[in-house]
Amino acid sequence: MASESVSSHLIRCPVCEAVNVDTGDNVRCRRCGTHIPHPRQSYIRTWALLLTAMILWVPANLFPILRIHTIMGHVDNTVVGGVIALWDDGSYLIALVILVASVIIPILKFIVLLYLLINSRFPVRHRRHVRHRLYTLIEIIGAWSMVDIFVVTALSGMVTFDTFQIVAGTGATAYVLMVFFTLAAALVFDPRLIARHYRTQKPYRHRKASDHGIG
Amino acid sequence: MMHKKAHDDLSKYVMCDRCNSLYRKVQLPAGKRARCKKCGAILYRYDPAYLDRALALALSGIIFFVLANLFPLIRVGLWGKEHTLTLFSAISVLEGGGFYIVAIGVTLLVLVIPLLVIVDYAVLILLLKLGKRPEMARRLLVSLSHLIPWSMVDIFTVSVLIALVKLSGKVTIHFGVAFWALVIYAGIDLYLTRARRIGTLWEIYERRYHGQ
Repeated sequence: MASESVSSHLIRCPVCEAVNVDTGDNVRCRRCGTHIPHPRQSYIRTWALLLTAMILWVPANLFPILRIHTIMGHVDNTVVGGVIALWDDGSYLIALVILVASVIIPILKFIVLLYLLINSRFPVRHRRHVRHRLYTLIEIIGAWSMVDIFVVTALSGMVTFDTFQIVAGTGATAYVLMVFFTLAAALVFDPRLIARHYRTQKPYRHRKASDHGIG
Repeated sequence: MMHKKAHDDLSKYVMCDRCNSLYRKVQLPAGKRARCKKCGAILYRYDPAYLDRALALALSGIIFFVLANLFPLIRVGLWGKEHTLTLFSAISVLEGGGFYIVAIGVTLLVLVIPLLVIVDYAVLILLLKLGKRPEMARRLLVSLSHLIPWSMVDIFTVSVLIALVKLSGKVTIHFGVAFWALVIYAGIDLYLTRARRIGTLWEIYERRYHGQ
């Protein structure tokens, strides 16, 4: 039944979930026909997307995501500033939701993906199931980081009075791109990089260039 | 290309999407589901009425989605003046303020991709029920699994509520008919795309067109 030796030669198709024989390169799913690239392609693409997201995280948190115009002038809110403002208003639950969705989840995704990528190069033998769970977790909760952007969209769409106006801030663009790249990084990450049978192979940089698929 | 024997053997197996444990499938009684022994995730289920239910839900989903976009979601008032929020107005405000990337992102995540998902789903279920056009059904299934991670209507609905909490006490708030349509649509979307896995549809596809 569920034996390790069998599952190390089989992979689940990321598109249709069918079980396929893992021949390394050029796996074509027997059910949906999707081309499943070698994990080394996923490795380098995940790094690229993750680093882009981490760079964008800086302006996304430094610049205001929201600007509130009132008759007294205007106030800028950064992501963290918005959480603090909600907390001061007494909306503790909502403040916590925003804190988790916009601050904790992106950082958690960075840490987990960094850990998984580094781990695929410098393997530790134990806790493979924990790593799988961590990956599933960030895949499921990742999209909730978009909450802040949608709140800004709703607020700036509703509050357009002459004396009271809310508009998006410069950080919003960086934030939306940051979330896009973290989501893409988690989608591109190949769970086979977690599995045991890839850890014993040579690091990918020592492979010849001819091993690469083109495109 | 693999020959028929190996193909049949592999389709008897299922791999847990949370922890990658491998299991051999068994015939379940109607309405039951199989769970992973290691992590408790649902592996597969046998739900003979799924196609009928999914078709009804997908068609009503399209109707509610159109309603949610035609009418105002929220009406806010301040000192006798009123403004309404529709999805289109919110996006055009962003676009008017020069936030083109944010506007494009919101349009795709809340408008375009959810619409594609629900129409794709409805057409797919129709094809599966009729048992016609296997190649088109396969393409619809593949695009569905690429689209689903980028459909965020559920998150948008929660965000509108959070925005209202932020405004509470500062303006008067009335819920529009479109808001309730959006909530119902989000519920249907959650059931069809998150509570039921794409693998379920692929299994129906295999039974329909390959007679397994």
